[in-house]
Amino acid sequence: MPLSKQQIDTLLTLVVNSSADAMECDGCLVNVAQFAEAELMGASLCESMKKVQTHLRNCPCCNDEYEALLAALEFVEA
Amino acid sequence: MYSTESQSMATEPYDWVENLKNESHRDDAIGKLREVLLRGLKGAFYRRGQDDAFCEDICQESLIRIIKNIDSFEGRSKFTTWAISIAIRVGISELRRRHHKDVSLDAITSKNDMKIELAVAEEGASGSDIDQRAILETLGELIENQLTDKQRTVVRALLGGMPVEEIARRTDSNRNAVYKLFHDAKLRLKSGFEASSYSMSDIESVFA
Repeated sequence: MPLSKQQIDTLLTLVVNSSADAMECDGCLVNVAQFAEAELMGASLCESMKKVQTHLRNCPCCNDEYEALLAALEFVEA
Repeated sequence: MYSTESQSMATEPYDWVENLKNESHRDDAIGKLREVLLRGLKGAFYRRGQDDAFCEDICQESLIRIIKNIDSFEGRSKFTTWAISIAIRVGISELRRRHHKDVSLDAITSKNDMKIELAVAEEGASGSDIDQRAILETLGELIENQLTDKQRTVVRALLGGMPVEEIARRTDSNRNAVYKLFHDAKLRLKSGFEASSYSMSDIESVFA
């Protein structure tokens, strides 16, 4: 079954944004709590946090977990 | 200002690690942590259609994992943020497992043919149709000639909506290995485009 136009666009976007020194999922997991706190406080991001940010843009699974984490933290803080 | 890489932005007055490790305080600490996790899980999973029973189950499993892995907490975030991040991952993993339990990898990746076909849609095409078609033809050639079978499988499964960890589970692999296959596939496609004289900005401009 051919890829849809949306799937092709997604793949090309991921290819264009790929980088050799990208963080992997495990690295994201280790840092995501710190990243979430930084994001919720609107703080500037250090280099390792920028790698988390890039990983989240390129990994739908980690991004899905991150969105759920933000929802949980917002609920806990409310 | 968030200036260091190893320091939490906020401290907690309650020493979770100390109390969870201290036998005489552990039950009280677990009770407190359970309340925090449950609240967070409800905030995250009610909106995903889950109920109290789901949150309770995930909370229980998460508490076991958190206590087992407590020495891996490095203090880069608040303890509760770290603990909730683990609970969220446990919950999302369970939802993914349930969602994909009846979907085979073959159904997504095509049983006999790992080649990715490209359907060039005429309608809704942005940029020059000729440029777009040339890029898509190059993409098709790169996918066929530059990627391994495993990489094509992972690319196709991910684009088909199967999560990394679910692909890992079905291929007796792990999440990092699957992500690495996908990551390497993207880099091969990128270098293939560049070897074909396409810059990333060319591609972005045509598919913007």
